[in-house]
Formats: sequence, structure tokens, C-alpha cells
Amino acid sequence: MDVVTLDGATKAFGSVHAVNGLSLTIRQGEILGFLGTNGAGKTTTIKMLLGFFRPDTGSLSVLGGDPCEPGTRRKIGYMPETAYYYPYLTVRELLALYGGLCGMTKQEIREASERLIARVGLTDAGDRLLRHYSKGMLQRAGIAQALLHDPDLLILDEPFTGLDPLARIQFRDLILELKQRGKTVFFSSHELSEAELICDRVAILKRGSLVWCGAVGEVVGDGERNLERVFLRMLGDRGEEAARQSLALHGGKAGTSPRANDGEVRP
Amino acid sequence: MSERTRQTKALAWLAVLELYRRKDMVVVFVLSAVILLPLAVFTPFGLAGASRYMNETALLLVWLFSLVIGLGVSSRLFPPEFESRTIYPMLAKPVARGTLLVGKYLGALAASVSALTVFYLAYGLMAGLRQGVWFPVVFLQAFVLHIGFLAVITALGLAGSLLLTPSANLTMSGLSIVGMLFFGQRLPALAATQSLPGRTVLTLIHWLGPHVEFFDLRQRVVHEWPAIGWGVCLVVLVYAAGYAAACLAVAVAVFRNKRF
Repeated sequence: MDVVTLDGATKAFGSVHAVNGLSLTIRQGEILGFLGTNGAGKTTTIKMLLGFFRPDTGSLSVLGGDPCEPGTRRKIGYMPETAYYYPYLTVRELLALYGGLCGMTKQEIREASERLIARVGLTDAGDRLLRHYSKGMLQRAGIAQALLHDPDLLILDEPFTGLDPLARIQFRDLILELKQRGKTVFFSSHELSEAELICDRVAILKRGSLVWCGAVGEVVGDGERNLERVFLRMLGDRGEEAARQSLALHGGKAGTSPRANDGEVRP
Repeated sequence: MSERTRQTKALAWLAVLELYRRKDMVVVFVLSAVILLPLAVFTPFGLAGASRYMNETALLLVWLFSLVIGLGVSSRLFPPEFESRTIYPMLAKPVARGTLLVGKYLGALAASVSALTVFYLAYGLMAGLRQGVWFPVVFLQAFVLHIGFLAVITALGLAGSLLLTPSANLTMSGLSIVGMLFFGQRLPALAATQSLPGRTVLTLIHWLGPHVEFFDLRQRVVHEWPAIGWGVCLVVLVYAAGYAAACLAVAVAVFRNKRF
């Protein structure tokens, strides 16, 4: 069953085409990594999936509904790229606010909050104002608020940014645990190594268009950093340049140069 | 409790909490109380006329402080959310944009009314101690109508915050409210002396501008005049509700079409 269906979605801001004819499906229970350089259109796509705005042309469906409808968003959990939350709240108060917005009762909020605060490792900082949190701690608070109402689809925008190695491992485990529970995870990232480790499929976006989408297994198993090579190749000129620089830096050794015919290419 | 009520309550609670956790607003609040108390107690030379003058000054300060707090809170409801992007996780929750806006409005109003209550309590207690009359009916009516005033300016500030920058909003809203407070009643007479199109412009301002002078019972309180009819109070409050609803309708229309 497809949880997300994007069919020729296009979104332009003035003369800039942020997303250009994007067609993509996300299946239930899979982890899909959404990769691309800065300005590739990842965040715009995520905003469309969250119903912040509709595509100019094309269509999209999330969990069988229109994400602009609050009822559809009830089943979506979202963690933004920049984890800015209200600095004058504690994480418990933050979760109480978002729980209230999700229509949860006080009892439901209390139970879910305590469980999630413990799960993301913020028990000791639960009553501290968020203004005193480090970036990594704010990311953890962001994860907790995204999971608060037990959503079916989790949309994460750059979730690994600002996390220390231990927190990365914990977060990776959390995503895999969600997958085991049948949840669908869609995340954008620059962290190709993380994507390679946990994703079932990856989609690569370039200048608003999908240039590659396929199973990670299609590229893994042929030496190290295969996803990175695919990624660089898909970027075209910019990728070639980055690969040349990388080769020069590593004394001409192979490992980061692009190779031909990695996976399925959709121009 | 319905889901929409829970959502509105959560948003209102956030606005109230913000007012009291942000130290700058607390400073305004404490300073206001500190200024009001001596003004309400002090009777220069034991003269009744001078005492009335002090009361009038204290009530004028209550109006100005409530204006600053009401506009200050409402005009800062959304711009910091857009700037710091805290609006994103909020919009991603299953809450309609209209509910989000109304919840924040009610929170700003609750926060402003709580500050106003302290101002009126301070003034009422001191005036009661001095004059021996505790919270006369006209004083309670002044308080109730002042809440209506806050309902109007908070809605105006909120709508303005979606259309203007915070500083422009504060300036425009503040000037129009103070202008209407002091000159609103004179607009029809002034319009009659003008030729077109000046007359049309003044007439439009008269009909579209917020008639905040309707809510002003300061003179009655200071001079201990009789209370007005509760029916009149009700009509003025209906006007406040209607004006606030119109401002909120504009704000909802803007907010629904706002691109994030």
C-alpha cells in the first residue's frame, strides 16, 4: 500500500521551479531517504506533504487524503530541519502544547510525554527551559514531539543534524524500531552514510526533479561509499567536480569517484 | 471537552505563559503597578480637585499601559513564530489555521485581561482606602468595557501582525487607536466642514475605525458620576465582539493564504 503518492507535482516560487514534475511513491512500512544538495527542493516537497501549500500542478496524496486537511495530518509526525522551539518552555510543556494541538487528553499527553522523554534521553532535563538546551538536545525534543501522537507516517527534515555519535546511533535505532512497528519513515538528509545504513530506498533530487530512486541494496555491496558515488554521479557537473576534488585530496585513490550505471536513472 | 476546545486551550495557554516568562513584559507589568499605586494614594494638599486630577492621571496610565500590553502581546504573536520557524511544527499538527489564530488571539486577550485586572485592583483598592467607597458600579462597568477595548485592540494588533512588520504594526495600530480615542467623536463634525474627497475619507474612517471612545468611562469614575445602564454596556460589548470578529475574519483570510 502506498502511503504517499506524488504525481507530477510542481511548485514554483516566482521564476524559480523549486519542485518540477516530481513523481514518487512511499510504501507502507518502508524507510525512504530523500537526498539532494541544498536548494534541490527537498524541503519544498516536505512542505507540500505536510499541507503547508498545494502543488501548482500535479497531485499528491498522503495516507489516502489531502494533507491540507487537519484530519490527514493527525497521522503524520514531523520534525523540522531547524529545531527551534519555544525557549521559555520546558520539554514537558512543549509536549503538552503539541499534545493539546493533536487533541490528546491530559492523561494521554502525560503518559506519552514521560515515555518519549525517557526514550530520547531527556529525563534529567525534562524540567529545564529549552533555552538552556544544546542543539542536540533540541533535536531530541523535536523527535519526541514528532512521535507524541503515535503517527503512521514520520517526516523528518535533516534529522541527524547536530546529533553526537551516540545520539545518532540511538536515533538510528529508534527509526528502525518504528519501522518494525509498521511505521513509514520519510527523511531528507545530507548524511549519505546514515541513509545507506537505514534506508530501504533512496530518492535523489536535483534542481526539483527526481533523478534516481531505488533500493539501497541495488548499490550497496560493491565496496564502500557506494551511495555517495551514486549521489555524486547524479549531480552531473557539480558531482563530477566534487569527485575530482575528492580524488585529488585522496591522492588519486578510488573510492569516491562516480561510476557508470549505478541503479535506475529517471531523467 | 471537544478536540477544538483542547487545541484552543493549548494555544491560549502558550500565549499567557509567554507573557509571564518573557521578562520584558513582566518589567512593563511591574513598573505599571509601581507607578499606579502612589498615584492612586497621593492627595496633593488635601484638595479634592487635585485628588481627582491624580485619579484621572492614574486611569489614563491604566489605559496607556493596557494599550501597550494589548498591542505588544498581540503584535508579537506571529512574527517571532515565522522568524524562528516554530510555526512549522505547529502547522504540521492536526489543527486548522483558523483555530490556531483564534486560540492565539484568546491567549493574548487572556494575558492582557489578567494584567488589566491587576491594574484595576490596585487602583480600586487605593481609591477605596482613600474615599471609603469600594468598587462602585461605574468602576466595575469601566473595567468590563475596558475588557471590550482590549478585545478590539488585540484583534486589530493580531490582524496587523500578519500584514505589517512588528514595528509598523505597533506604530499604525497605536496611532489609530490613540487617534480614535481622542478624536473619534469629532470626526463627523470635522467631515461636515470638508469638501470631497476629504469628507468621504473622514466619513470612511469614522465608520471603519475602531470607536474605542465607546469603552472609555474614565470621566464617570473620576467624577463619581452615576453608572450607565447595563443595556448600554451590553450594546458596546456587542460592538467590541463584532469589531474583533471582523478583524479576526480578515486575519484568518490572510493566514489561510499565507505561504510558509
